[in-house]
Amino acid sequence: MATSTNSIGKNNGIRMSRRTFTKLTALGTAAALSGISSVSAIQDKFPLIESASASPEEPGVTLVKSTCSHCAVGCGFQGKIQKGVCIGIEPWLENPINRGSMCSKGASIAEILNSPLRLKYPMEKVNGQWKQISWTEALDKIANKMKEIKATYGPDSIFYMGSAKVSNEECYLFRKFAAFNGTNNVDHQARICHSTTVAGLANTWSYGAMTNPWNDMRHSGVILFCGENAAESHPVAMLHILEAKRRGAKFIVMDPRFTKSAAAADMYVRFRSGTDIPLIWGICNVIVNNNWHNKDFIAKRTYGFDKWWDVVKEYTPEVVEDITWVPADTIRQVAYDWAFPPRGEGYANCICWAMGATQHTVGTNNIRSFACLSLLMGYAGRPGGGTNAFRGHDNVQGSTDMCVLSHWLPAYYGLDEGSWKHWIGVWNRHAPITYEEMKAKFAEHNGKSLMHVKGITVSRWYEGVLNREFPINQPNPIKMAFVWGHSLNSISEMKRMKEAMEQVELLVGVDPHATIAASLADRPDGIIILPASTQFEEEGSVTNSARQVQWRNKLVEPLYESKPDWWIMQELAKRLGFGEHFTYTNMEDVLREINLGSNVIMMRESPERLKRQQLQCTTECSVFSCEDCQAKSGPLKGEYWGLPWPCWNDEHPGTPILYRNDIPVSEGGNEYRTRFRGPDSTPGNPLSDDGESMLGAAYGYPEGYDEKNSDGTDGPGWKFEIDADFKALIAQNICPSGAGRARFRAWNLPDPVPVHREPIESPRPDLVDKYPTYDDVADHFRVKCLYKTIQQERKNLVNDYPYILTTGRQVEHMGGGAETRSCEYLVELQPEMYAEINPTTALELGITHWDYIWVETLRGKCKVRAYVTERVNEQTIFMPYHWAGWLEGESYADRWPEGTGELAYGDSCNVITVDGYDRSTNMQETKVCLCKVYKA
Amino acid sequence: MVTYKFLNVIEKCIDCGACFAICKDQNKVPHGTARVQVVTINEGRPGEKNIPVSCMHCTEPPCEAACPVKAIYKREEDGIVLMDKNKCIGCGYCGWACPFGAPQYPHGLHGDLKEWEGIMDKCTLCVQPFVPLEKEREPSPRCALFCSTKARLGGDIAAILPVYREKKAIYTSRWQERVL
Repeated sequence: MATSTNSIGKNNGIRMSRRTFTKLTALGTAAALSGISSVSAIQDKFPLIESASASPEEPGVTLVKSTCSHCAVGCGFQGKIQKGVCIGIEPWLENPINRGSMCSKGASIAEILNSPLRLKYPMEKVNGQWKQISWTEALDKIANKMKEIKATYGPDSIFYMGSAKVSNEECYLFRKFAAFNGTNNVDHQARICHSTTVAGLANTWSYGAMTNPWNDMRHSGVILFCGENAAESHPVAMLHILEAKRRGAKFIVMDPRFTKSAAAADMYVRFRSGTDIPLIWGICNVIVNNNWHNKDFIAKRTYGFDKWWDVVKEYTPEVVEDITWVPADTIRQVAYDWAFPPRGEGYANCICWAMGATQHTVGTNNIRSFACLSLLMGYAGRPGGGTNAFRGHDNVQGSTDMCVLSHWLPAYYGLDEGSWKHWIGVWNRHAPITYEEMKAKFAEHNGKSLMHVKGITVSRWYEGVLNREFPINQPNPIKMAFVWGHSLNSISEMKRMKEAMEQVELLVGVDPHATIAASLADRPDGIIILPASTQFEEEGSVTNSARQVQWRNKLVEPLYESKPDWWIMQELAKRLGFGEHFTYTNMEDVLREINLGSNVIMMRESPERLKRQQLQCTTECSVFSCEDCQAKSGPLKGEYWGLPWPCWNDEHPGTPILYRNDIPVSEGGNEYRTRFRGPDSTPGNPLSDDGESMLGAAYGYPEGYDEKNSDGTDGPGWKFEIDADFKALIAQNICPSGAGRARFRAWNLPDPVPVHREPIESPRPDLVDKYPTYDDVADHFRVKCLYKTIQQERKNLVNDYPYILTTGRQVEHMGGGAETRSCEYLVELQPEMYAEINPTTALELGITHWDYIWVETLRGKCKVRAYVTERVNEQTIFMPYHWAGWLEGESYADRWPEGTGELAYGDSCNVITVDGYDRSTNMQETKVCLCKVYKA
Repeated sequence: MVTYKFLNVIEKCIDCGACFAICKDQNKVPHGTARVQVVTINEGRPGEKNIPVSCMHCTEPPCEAACPVKAIYKREEDGIVLMDKNKCIGCGYCGWACPFGAPQYPHGLHGDLKEWEGIMDKCTLCVQPFVPLEKEREPSPRCALFCSTKARLGGDIAAILPVYREKKAIYTSRWQERVL
């Protein structure tokens, strides 16, 4: 593979030619001169070619609708299938989310699916050589090893790394699989991408998801980005954002880096990485001091405003300017726009974020501050408003809902006895199982069943193996790990992880590609990799970021010897002695089982309803509106695309906008849940910890109401009813989850009201003592976690490591990049790993564009190209995170099995990102640390 | 009679690369050759703009005039500029003549594609893939169909021009001064 890397590596002329393409001026002038004319009121207008038939001209070709497998926008497309082979893709112009649009990754789907570099058959590493083995042999070996480890060390010594790239059904089965193996040591990418969003939003107003659909941003007054770069991470979301901008919305981007999104924005605010909270509090401070906030909304539907203000009043624009490096007047300008949307009176504003906000030691607090900013003006729960967390993977919302997570059971049920009994009740319908039988599968530690103890998270799973500096709180360290559809280069501290991968007894990789699960560990044996089929070779439902559930059809039969993930689980379950619980023949049955028990999010999207929507979107052009995703005509009139949860029963149209309470529940209305109860609460009368009522005004119920069981009585029993439909309650306009208040002050969190805390490695030693990080935590998801100790140790680090390192996305690559770095089209666009560096900094350091440089931190160093650009300021270095195949300048491409190597390799930035973790969810802090740079 | 053209609402282009990738998917254009690519100006600064550039199917194509072997021709019925790859001698005159740098001269080709080494290739509005078909396909520019933000419009100029004007107008008015 080395030769192909070189040949592509040389091809950076593409980017160079972009910069020097001078003939272009002619085109720019021509474009600027044309077209000032009247703006038509027709909003849904797209190029005329939309009406042209998109059907293929080739005979014998059928079109199959499916959903893109890259980001969480959930774009629809049609696969061109000829003789069982996918020969290309066609746009699905009626899909309300994307109207046929795709980005470069989506456009490469056929190439990625048919990639000759995929893993073709199960392989095992023996004596330093990769050897093909049969499926039976591979599965037997894995199952025997699992049995052996469970018998010797206990069930918690196997770690299950799940995936956000598989369907809801497979995610659900994966969590069930871990439960039947007797452990909570199961986790997946949601931990390292948006776990802080879930914790932050859910603790503010009960659900942890994006509140409004993508299309709804068309109705926003202001679209405020904070730590989001949709132009690269969610390109098709920009379709709606730029449409809103066209209609008069103001698009503001706040980011440490002048991103491609910032280039498309009306206003750009550059701030220092890791200072989101003071920036947001500065905006809130201006709004409240000017008395612009929505007092009526705050009084009726929120809790804790006064205590919140006690904290926020300290963050005046001048104080914030010192912390964030944003001029005070800019903060005042944003505050004014937020309070008075320039688009006009009556418009609501939305705030959007992604990894830029979540991946911090204060990630949960960042998100809480965004939610408070939304609450302050009453924008939460209105069309055009809300808080839009742009999630990453195609099904990461679904996998989070199915809770492939170490601290939840499917549909956000906790690990308490009641929750276990609820799901065991559901599983019991498939094959007999009792609570006691399940409990017997789990080990005990310190006199407590580990069934009720949060497991180790994926962000620090390697500490569970190493068990050295950070002794773990479970009987034995991890001895075996499944890397099931997970890119390990998206996890920080990769050198420690490599050590852990070399230390476990068996490493199992399950993925369409070999990935670095096969190659990062430098060990002669003890790795088995299984070829999973891609998303397009199996079917199932996927939930996009906006909670819209779409049925993804199978395009082709699995290529090579690859097998669907659920088949692999089934076979392992059989060998492990609980096969009867996994005897499904199709994904529809699994979805029906999910429907039975998922009351907290009320997922009642039966496969029939999802498929019916897809059919309607085929035969009747544009039956679903692009404005609000609702069917305006036809048999599905009134239904929302994708039946966004909560979808209360088989007649409910779905809830596109969470907490919107100016419409009845039966038409998609929703209330803040009465989920938060202080110690003195009684059924019917939920109180905060300081004795205030937590009931908030609701549609038709000015005083609000507590959560209701389906018989109408107060209480949390509704969550535990199996197969309930709540039709009687919905008919009375009662939301079974109650009508409560959103919290400015979340008393159960480490910071009830977020405060600024400097990052672990701060470029401002003078602020570290004033705004210190948290105290160390002895047991954070079974592992000790250091905060204050390391922050104090590194207080003056800025003297030696003067630049802030931040990381992010490239539009051409996805996640760990195993798929996209194996795709010729995408590699041609983005052939090499680089670090962005400001021209002034580059000049000082004697670096010219495309030189090799070292970026070094306390953890290690990366050898990358220098990309000299003004996107970053003089203090900041930016690196994309999709790269692997080099470790500190040394290629390990030879460790990939023959014929499965990727086309482009580079150093992984997560080798050098910081060892800080979010206080609530253990999210890694990849967005800010200190580094130094020098020429290689 | 129709006249096929491309128009780009450059305020909407975000350089996602969809046009490039879908063109490769549709027309099987080999590595190193791009029928369309996005050019970025003022990168990293306020005023940064992206422009997808391909053959513009000129009304009076300079490439046609420059071609010594008359391999390039403009179709009368729809104005699409095409080339006869079997006539092309790969001299590169069209590349000199074109104001947009659209003509490509593939190099380093392998296997079946070897015979097209150095032979000019460019956008055909998806009428002809890289390896020419005997029967031309219907014009249907995939780059415009798939464009992630609908920035690229492709089709009959009479139909796309009003759409272009509508999309363009707002950007030249209210908020533009804040960007620059």
